[in-house]
Amino acid sequence: MDFQGIYDHLKAKDTPGLLTADHPRLPDPENKKDKGRFGSPFVEVDPQHICEFMVACRDDDRLGFDLLADLSAADPAEESEEFWVLYQLLSINHRHRLMVKSRISKEGANINTLSGIFRAAQWHERECAEMFGIQFNGHPDPRNMLLPDDWEGYPLRKDYEFPEEYHGISCV
Amino acid sequence: MATNSAASNTFFPEPRILPGGEKEFMMDVATSDLEVSMGPQHPATHGVMKILLRADGEMVTAAQPHLGFLHRCAEKIGENVEWLQYLPYTDRYDYLAAMNNNLGYSMAVEEVLGVEIPKRAQLLRMICVELNRVASHLVAFGTYGLDLGAFTPFLYAFREREWLLMIFEKICGARLTYSYLRIGGVFNDAPPGWLQEVEHFCDVFEEKWKEYYNLLMVNKIFVGRTANVGVITPEQAKDFGLTGPMLRGSGVSFDLRREMPYMLYGQAFEDGAYEVPVGKGEMGQLGDCWDRIYVRVVEMMESIRLVRWCLGSIEEGPVIGDVGKTIKVPPGEAYVAIENPRGELGHYVLSDGGKGSSRCRVRGPSFCNLAILEDIMPGTLLADSVAIIGSTDVVIGETDR
Amino acid sequence: MLINQPNLVLDSAPAAAESGNVTLHFLQGVAPEAVPAWLLPVAAAGVSVGVVIGMISVIAMLCVWLERKISGHIQCRYGPMYAGGWHGWAQTIADGVKLLMKEDMVPSGADRALFMMAPAIVLGAIFGAFVAMPLSPDFYFADINLGVFFILGMSSLTTIGVVMSGWASNSKWSLYGAMREAAQVVAYEIPLGISLMVALIVAGTFNLREASALQGDWFGMGWFVFKNPLFMIPASILFFISALAETKRAPFDLPEAESELVAGFLTEYSGIRWSFFFMEEYAAMYLMSLVASVFFFGGFQSPFTYLAIEQFGADSFIANLVGAVTLIVKSMFGICLMMWVRWTLPRVRIDQVMTMGYKYLTPLSLICVLGAAVWEAII
Repeated sequence: MDFQGIYDHLKAKDTPGLLTADHPRLPDPENKKDKGRFGSPFVEVDPQHICEFMVACRDDDRLGFDLLADLSAADPAEESEEFWVLYQLLSINHRHRLMVKSRISKEGANINTLSGIFRAAQWHERECAEMFGIQFNGHPDPRNMLLPDDWEGYPLRKDYEFPEEYHGISCV
Repeated sequence: MATNSAASNTFFPEPRILPGGEKEFMMDVATSDLEVSMGPQHPATHGVMKILLRADGEMVTAAQPHLGFLHRCAEKIGENVEWLQYLPYTDRYDYLAAMNNNLGYSMAVEEVLGVEIPKRAQLLRMICVELNRVASHLVAFGTYGLDLGAFTPFLYAFREREWLLMIFEKICGARLTYSYLRIGGVFNDAPPGWLQEVEHFCDVFEEKWKEYYNLLMVNKIFVGRTANVGVITPEQAKDFGLTGPMLRGSGVSFDLRREMPYMLYGQAFEDGAYEVPVGKGEMGQLGDCWDRIYVRVVEMMESIRLVRWCLGSIEEGPVIGDVGKTIKVPPGEAYVAIENPRGELGHYVLSDGGKGSSRCRVRGPSFCNLAILEDIMPGTLLADSVAIIGSTDVVIGETDR
Repeated sequence: MLINQPNLVLDSAPAAAESGNVTLHFLQGVAPEAVPAWLLPVAAAGVSVGVVIGMISVIAMLCVWLERKISGHIQCRYGPMYAGGWHGWAQTIADGVKLLMKEDMVPSGADRALFMMAPAIVLGAIFGAFVAMPLSPDFYFADINLGVFFILGMSSLTTIGVVMSGWASNSKWSLYGAMREAAQVVAYEIPLGISLMVALIVAGTFNLREASALQGDWFGMGWFVFKNPLFMIPASILFFISALAETKRAPFDLPEAESELVAGFLTEYSGIRWSFFFMEEYAAMYLMSLVASVFFFGGFQSPFTYLAIEQFGADSFIANLVGAVTLIVKSMFGICLMMWVRWTLPRVRIDQVMTMGYKYLTPLSLICVLGAAVWEAII
């Protein structure tokens, strides 16, 4: 299935949490400020229902997203009020993939963990948590993945300030 | 239960009743598990990775990988440099397959950019990527022999890899970190005689490949060490998000080149230029270490066939598309995955219309493939754990990025 | 029947009837009258020890160089080419000098005394084993009637040193290596001894010099392996496999297992102490090859030795020299074979090592002993 087919199917099944589909579009020639949106399409999902959405995607016969290829987050801009949590789903049998985006607010950023649905999410969520400071509710092993345990700050946030030194080691 | 310790037989105390109703007999000698830190400096971890092992004698009872010793902030750097400037950084995460990384990043940016790639550039890209896949699998094959104590296949593999590195040096001037595949095409055209040398390499390699196969893959000791060791079931593989040879070794026939064709792979597959090898459990259970290394070894041959197909259909033309001198990427976002020698290499790029990316996420296949160690290592012998780590073929530069 | 074997040694080597070895006889010949008689055996012992250590060290160094060249050529490269000029012959000497000048490090937390004692025990044990090894009828250091037992016993002592080093290093990898060594050597000592028993049945003597001398018929080709081929050839293969395990050579190099245990019991050693272990490995290979040559492949007997004995007499210097060279060359073949195996095969796993030792090699060697005994009784 292509993206439109997947979206229509999700819509028809009334999948919990599904908000909209975002298609790439050309800039509006009449509106100078609109530069359009390029790249690949994705669906937006309500962060409150992300687990239900994923279970529905995984267990549906025609979708069959049995592999969570990637889980990450993005901080679109420093002035932005929200983080995007991005999920890349992949179906081995049906040979299609889907990008899922969930917007969560930066204040007390948290979202439910997927590690009970896809084991693959466990490490990705650990990395995401240490890099963005997003709390994954119910994560079984919330240790730091790549950073030292006593690292301060969340490096991939746009407002992150580089530390001058770490345990006496100069960082600049 | 022994109520009176003084009166009870110390050598054969009464059995403990386990929850399932089975009896567990305990010897009176108290043994404690040994906690061994395998790494960060250990020959079997293929770099600076640490695996905390809990071992009962030779038997591993728990394993916990610790990463981050080679973390170089690639994703943060991606937000701070311009589009093209980030390309050399992609070389550094999977340094054994730098061409593939260049391709993954370039294709992600091209997806947002929407640029047309000329056919000659596509074919040159495919030749380089496939040769790089051969080079990477040669290292995987050689170092796997090394992990199991066979030193000689390693040097045989490196002899052929050396030739490949020289071929790459001729086309782009670098041996390991190529930055040859650029956004929009490739950096320059192949020098005269380069394509003929690639063809010569293919001829020689096909002969050598048989030697390697006979030397290591069907060796009795090698089979004894790898068959039925570290079995990953297909369900487990999917659950952990394994990709590449790890997934195919478990019998799941899934290759992004064939299932979701990019560049000219779809056309090549229709022409019968390559097949996707999968583990069949020939020597033991399906999804054991032997199957994984078998998939890699056979893939080398398939890549050589693909290179031959590319050489046959190459034509004159430009080698880079119309991207302009300074790349201006319109706002947008894209996730593009390609088949790296280790699995799905995904790049998520987010552009806000500025000079560089606003978010540059790298989904390294080694990172995901490593996660399964926690599950499959307990219950194996210490020597098996080395075989299992080797069969995941990790590149630490990619797990830590 | 064994006892009634004609003692050919007495014919070919009259020195055996006297006490003492060739060094003592030499000293007795040249010493002035004033030297007290008790000093001569002491001096002879000192000289003999010096000769043994010198000879084994030189041969071990040669083996190290040979190993590098053989591995290099197996792997399509040259190996050392520069040190000393001709094919890097002095590479080992250069390495030895480097190792001597390295800092002698003892890890903190190690059992200092044991840690420093272990290499000495290992090296001493293996050098001690060479004392019972005759090179030719007259070139020997100690003519021991139970020579085989002495050699096996001494070479087993090295295990104690290895276990000691593993325990004293205060490193888990070392401990793993030591435990593996203990398990492996105990498992393979049995088939090693039993397969040697086959040769002993055919030879009828425990004395290595006598055993060698017994194989001088058939123009120097009356080797035990030809005298009873049905059981001696399998026994020699069993002995070879067991010897590989006994000397910790690949594919049985589990105690070191550099890709699993970093370097096994050698992990914490450096400099000259490390080189002691290294030298022990090559000396042990040489020792096992010598034992195999003596009990399976004719000892110092060969057509060349036969001709030399015919030409110059059994107790002539030239015949002895030819015999000694023959034995060394034969054992070099064994060493090269061990190297060839090492650079070809992957390493086996500890459970496979144990299975092979206890389940296959031991019963097979027992069958060989039984067969050889029946054969000897019938013929």
